[in-house]
Amino acid sequence: MTVTAPPAPGAEEFTEPIGVRRRLVRQRARRSLVRRRLVSRGAVVVCALALAASLAPLVGLVAYTVGRGWHVLSGAFLTHEPTPPGVPGGGIANAIVGSVVLVALGAAMAVPVGVAAALFLLERRGRIAGALRFGADVLTGVPSIAIGIVAYGLLIAPGGLLSLGHYSGLSGSVALAVLMLPIVVRASESAMAAVPSELREAGLALGVRRSRVMRSVVLRSALPGLVTGNLLAVARAVGETAPLLFTAIGSQLFALNPLQPVAAMPLVIYNDGTQPFPAAQQIAWGTALVLLALVLVLSVAARAVAAFLNRRAR
Amino acid sequence: MTTLLEEVPPPLAPVPGVAEALGRRRRRPGGRLYAALRWGGALVFGAVVVALVATLVSGSSQAFGHFGLSLLWSDHYSPAKDQYPTGVFIVGTLITTAVALVLAVVVGVATAAFLSELAPRVVAAPLSVAVDLIAAVPSIVVGLWGLLVLTPAFSHHVEPFLKTIPVLEWFFHGAALGPSMLLAGVVLAVMIVPTVVALSRSAMTAVAVADREAARALGATRWQVVRTAVIPGARTGIEASLTLAMGRAMGETIAVAMVIGNSYTVPHSLLAPGATLGSAIINNFGEAAPGLDRSSVVALVLVLVLITALVNVGGQLLLRARTRSARR
Amino acid sequence: MTIDIDHDRDIDHDRTDAAAGTDRAEAPGAPSAGGAAVALRNVSVTFGRHQVVRDVTLDLAPKQVTALVGPSGCGKTTILRTINRLHDDTGGKVSGQVVVGDLDVYARDTRPELVRSRVGMVFQRPNPFPTMSIYDNVVAGLRLNGVRTKKVLREAAEAALHHAALWDLVKDRLHAPALRLSGGQQQRLCIARALAVEPEVLLMDEPCSALDPIATAKIEELITHLASEVTIGLVTHNMFQATRVSHVTAVFLLGEDRATGELVEVGPTTEIFEHPADPRTAAYVSGQVG
Repeated sequence: MTVTAPPAPGAEEFTEPIGVRRRLVRQRARRSLVRRRLVSRGAVVVCALALAASLAPLVGLVAYTVGRGWHVLSGAFLTHEPTPPGVPGGGIANAIVGSVVLVALGAAMAVPVGVAAALFLLERRGRIAGALRFGADVLTGVPSIAIGIVAYGLLIAPGGLLSLGHYSGLSGSVALAVLMLPIVVRASESAMAAVPSELREAGLALGVRRSRVMRSVVLRSALPGLVTGNLLAVARAVGETAPLLFTAIGSQLFALNPLQPVAAMPLVIYNDGTQPFPAAQQIAWGTALVLLALVLVLSVAARAVAAFLNRRAR
Repeated sequence: MTTLLEEVPPPLAPVPGVAEALGRRRRRPGGRLYAALRWGGALVFGAVVVALVATLVSGSSQAFGHFGLSLLWSDHYSPAKDQYPTGVFIVGTLITTAVALVLAVVVGVATAAFLSELAPRVVAAPLSVAVDLIAAVPSIVVGLWGLLVLTPAFSHHVEPFLKTIPVLEWFFHGAALGPSMLLAGVVLAVMIVPTVVALSRSAMTAVAVADREAARALGATRWQVVRTAVIPGARTGIEASLTLAMGRAMGETIAVAMVIGNSYTVPHSLLAPGATLGSAIINNFGEAAPGLDRSSVVALVLVLVLITALVNVGGQLLLRARTRSARR
Repeated sequence: MTIDIDHDRDIDHDRTDAAAGTDRAEAPGAPSAGGAAVALRNVSVTFGRHQVVRDVTLDLAPKQVTALVGPSGCGKTTILRTINRLHDDTGGKVSGQVVVGDLDVYARDTRPELVRSRVGMVFQRPNPFPTMSIYDNVVAGLRLNGVRTKKVLREAAEAALHHAALWDLVKDRLHAPALRLSGGQQQRLCIARALAVEPEVLLMDEPCSALDPIATAKIEELITHLASEVTIGLVTHNMFQATRVSHVTAVFLLGEDRATGELVEVGPTTEIFEHPADPRTAAYVSGQVG
């Protein structure tokens, strides 16, 4: 079959051939290339510098925390209570344990409620679910100081909901729980939604009860994601100061009673770090190092556990 | 009559026992516990949100009743009359957030461009993880570092240097005494850069390879590809990241409180100390006397929550709009 | 009557520019493609350990359509992309020689950006820049290459849209978003965008595979018209399209190792399809293979 070239549509009016500007374009391309390549290389350098600027604070922060906190760390530091000001040899054992207790209590409240709410979002569409999701979005952005003050208003101030009348670790845990709640809901919902619906439908088609399906099928497949999400929420809560400032308020004592003020590492850092005395600031650095290490361990553990569970599932 | 099967299946007959077992299961009140669990979770969640709003509104009602809405732009600080310069705090919040955003946009978007387009692939992944790690650092630790390390560094070196730059005179005059708005802005920038980088980077990598190839095939240099195809394509995602970063900066209280200096007049320069809503709340709530005093501080909390909620919801909507348009 | 801006003018140009210190690869004495617009000599492409296509020697005759046909995976697109050095970005290693006019594409001091301003490409799926208007899309290539004069841009845009048979359709809405056009129209927009830079060679990688039959027919008509002014290299897996629009056909098939593509036969389209010389070509053309 031979090739014919019919007149192109509209060719009668327009007769300019291709190539009229070719030389001009070629010239401009060649002449601008040096500048363009230079700009491109410069841009790479500038953006690399931006990366350095992004990372420099992290490096500086970790370096200083380790540098100044390291020689405060000792067996005594980690296992003793604080001593009165001026008396050497104190430690932050109460703050470490206090942090763990506060966060554990908070998680005990936030995780069940959060996962249950996530199950709700999973099973229903409609306006209530939409409102819930909107609420989660809003709650994520609420400053943690506001959560702490609300907890104070409800649980400590006279006339509040369940007012104890005095500062307590429990109110701090409630504040932490409210802080963690939207994170748990979001992470759980996305972990469970990622399970392919075919798995769920297969279970339901066999006549298995919905709750059983969720338990055996969905929860099991979503477990790695759930664990990661919740551990990350815990890692976030452990480092929070503002919710505890006016609730658990901190303590010098090894107080494990949640109905009394409880010590926590972030509070130690805040109280001691803002004092003009080097000895106090040293304690703050040491505590900051311990806190940083704990957060790091939790974040790494979150991903490691997820990876382990993923492998086991295969 | 031939068949392909190796053996002929027997005719169907009911297996004893199965029917009874299934019937027993169906007769149990199935799923009601599960439904109660779900609804319980939803209701508790809803109750928390409602309680939050209700407590703030009721706690601040006394102050709003006493001072009226003019509370919002007052610059009058009078401890005796339990009156806080809310307007000054709002201005402080806006200024520090603006400084943080300017720094974070420039550094964050450029970093995202580097990680997404310009860096060798081997290096890009671990570096992204490193940038994300900043977000995991507790704000109290950032605040401590800001207070004990950055403050002396800024007042002795950075700020005097900035004063020598002729063009920026207007921003940087006055004595560099230590805590300052600039420092607060820088600390905030450090904390929000990971948000900007992560979301911008994801928006950039989502730009189709086809668009990049189109630019490449026309003779674009690497940077030209980024400028013509990637950044315009990622614009909605970048805007969303900036809005969310702004919300985060506005809500950050502890780190700012430690470096801003707690001064209750409108600052005339970035080198002067100031106050934000967050820092004012932290510094005043503890000693506020119950009654009008405390109510005024709770009013500050309410204002802060409203502003951050508005900005955050805006950012979430932008993010959702971006994923919707990408799917189209 | 077309203005024949070919090798000679370029060489003159280059002598004066060589003095200015730019692009030395185009100096006289550099390899010439002879009569062909594009010449490939022993070109092979390897990705990592896998050699995708081997030892291709092929000419693209000037002002004609050369079709590269064959089943998928035989290296047609890979070979096409060696011509405008797109493998620089994908990590493919190219060996052998590729000459466009008088430009040795893979010479050490040849800048890929300059190659690409002389060799245009249209892709399988239409890819107009989504955030730009129709006009901005058409002149994008010119702007990227440093052409800024508004008058030149406007004239070039109008000419390119005429050549792509799109002018009447869009002349009243040049500043509308490019994505409002239909698939076939977007592809013609991409053709206009490539033509605006006035390349000597236009590479088309299965340009109709994402389009409906009517849009396909329009673009085939466009190709036959463009061929009289621009050299076209067209990859297609549709044999009938090759018979409809091309003058020369190159057949690519998997070699005996069933892993690497090779050029089996090349010749005038009618010969290839009616009297193929190689038995493998005959098998492919009659539908027994691929």
